[in-house]
Amino acid sequence: MKWFIFKHSFTLGMALSLFCYNASAQENRYDRRVHHYRKRWENLIPTHTKIQFAGNMGLLSVGTGWDYGKKNQWETDILLGFLPKFSSDKAKITMTLKQNYMPWSIDLGKGFSTEPLACGLYFNTIFGDDFWVKEPERYPKGYYGFSTKIRTHIFLGQRLTYNIAPHKRYTAKAITFFYELSASDIYIASAFNNSYLRPKDYLSLSFGIKFQLF
Amino acid sequence: MKKKNILYSLCSFLLVSSCELIDYHPYDVRITGETGINAKNIAKIEANCKDKSSIRFVTMGDSQRSYDETEDFVKHVNKRNDIDFVIHGGDVSDFGITDEFLWQRDIMNKLNVPYVVLIGNHDVLGTGEEVYTKVFGATDFAFIAGNVKFICLNTNAIEYDYSNPIPNFNFIENELTNRKEEFQKTVFSMHVRPFADEFNNNVARIFDRYTREFPGLQFCTVAHDHRLSADDLFNNGIMYYGSDSMAHRNYLVFTITPEGYTYEVVYF
Repeated sequence: MKWFIFKHSFTLGMALSLFCYNASAQENRYDRRVHHYRKRWENLIPTHTKIQFAGNMGLLSVGTGWDYGKKNQWETDILLGFLPKFSSDKAKITMTLKQNYMPWSIDLGKGFSTEPLACGLYFNTIFGDDFWVKEPERYPKGYYGFSTKIRTHIFLGQRLTYNIAPHKRYTAKAITFFYELSASDIYIASAFNNSYLRPKDYLSLSFGIKFQLF
Repeated sequence: MKKKNILYSLCSFLLVSSCELIDYHPYDVRITGETGINAKNIAKIEANCKDKSSIRFVTMGDSQRSYDETEDFVKHVNKRNDIDFVIHGGDVSDFGITDEFLWQRDIMNKLNVPYVVLIGNHDVLGTGEEVYTKVFGATDFAFIAGNVKFICLNTNAIEYDYSNPIPNFNFIENELTNRKEEFQKTVFSMHVRPFADEFNNNVARIFDRYTREFPGLQFCTVAHDHRLSADDLFNNGIMYYGSDSMAHRNYLVFTITPEGYTYEVVYF
């Protein structure tokens, strides 16, 4: 009897330990998978928020975006812009996809640093029935040959960043002030071959603030 | 003190120039400067031409993106003293963006004589029509110079659906009786001529019938085609005269006298 119990408990123990071993191995792989899964989605958490004034993307644009690259020299933003109605029938909403590149960052001391050059391009789309990407069917093919809905802009600008000391941080770890000079496709086309138009006519000045969350 | 003054003027210069650099959107319909141009200039045209039996006017158009050429045109017309007014046949803008209307208005405002601007098909794009209406006025309008009524019409039918009557026959009919005693002759002006791609060609012949109901119909002036033209479109003697684009640096001068009318092409 004893032998029987021993034998069986031994087998049971072996089986249990084997099972446990298997289970822990499975859990490890599962854990790793979940970890990677979370990590991949975590990469999609925006690293900053931005507010931009003017720049042919609305009166005021608010958005979020990601920093990346070895020195965080690349930045991609998505912004929603608000355009008051002014003399038109209704106010409008615009959306901007913006790509920034800051080749250098210089430490100025006392928590300040500067990006002496920020450049890039952005695409802006405006919502509303008045605008189209492709000409509506009523037109002969290629009648106008441009889109009233999507504009492409290029810009150059500069930035000043203040790094907030860790014990003073509230929501952001750094605040960046920036300004940009931009020009859009149809303004460049208008200025081409016309001396009447001056830089103030086809260039656009905008200001903004970036809050670095982490 | 001097330094302070320089600093002050530099700051104010920067502030003013940076204000001009602030742009919200190409289609923002944010209008600065003069508005209601056509109504103001029509009052001047009617006052200047009152009781005149002969009038002389210029037709031109399609000045989109031709800022330098339009400036030269204005300088050229300003050298003359025989012109009563100018009719811009439409397409001041190319993309319908707000600034285009304001730039062209500022150039045309330098004319010594009054002018009116018709709406072209490009002027309807995006929020263009809202800008046009604010800066220049209604898209169908009429005025009387001497004893000639000028009926200026929006004929850019392809830009609209059927909720907008283009051409607006109600407007045309009203003009037949409106101020009937004040005119003996009629001229029709429009951007797109009948049978062209933009016109509502289903009613081209009806349009022709309506125009012929008007007293002393002289001719019709059109733009849009970026070329000079003179065509008897309906084979009934009613001539349609097309002005060239500003890029081609020429304009038409019409003279209406008690004996009839003449016209010439002027290059600048």
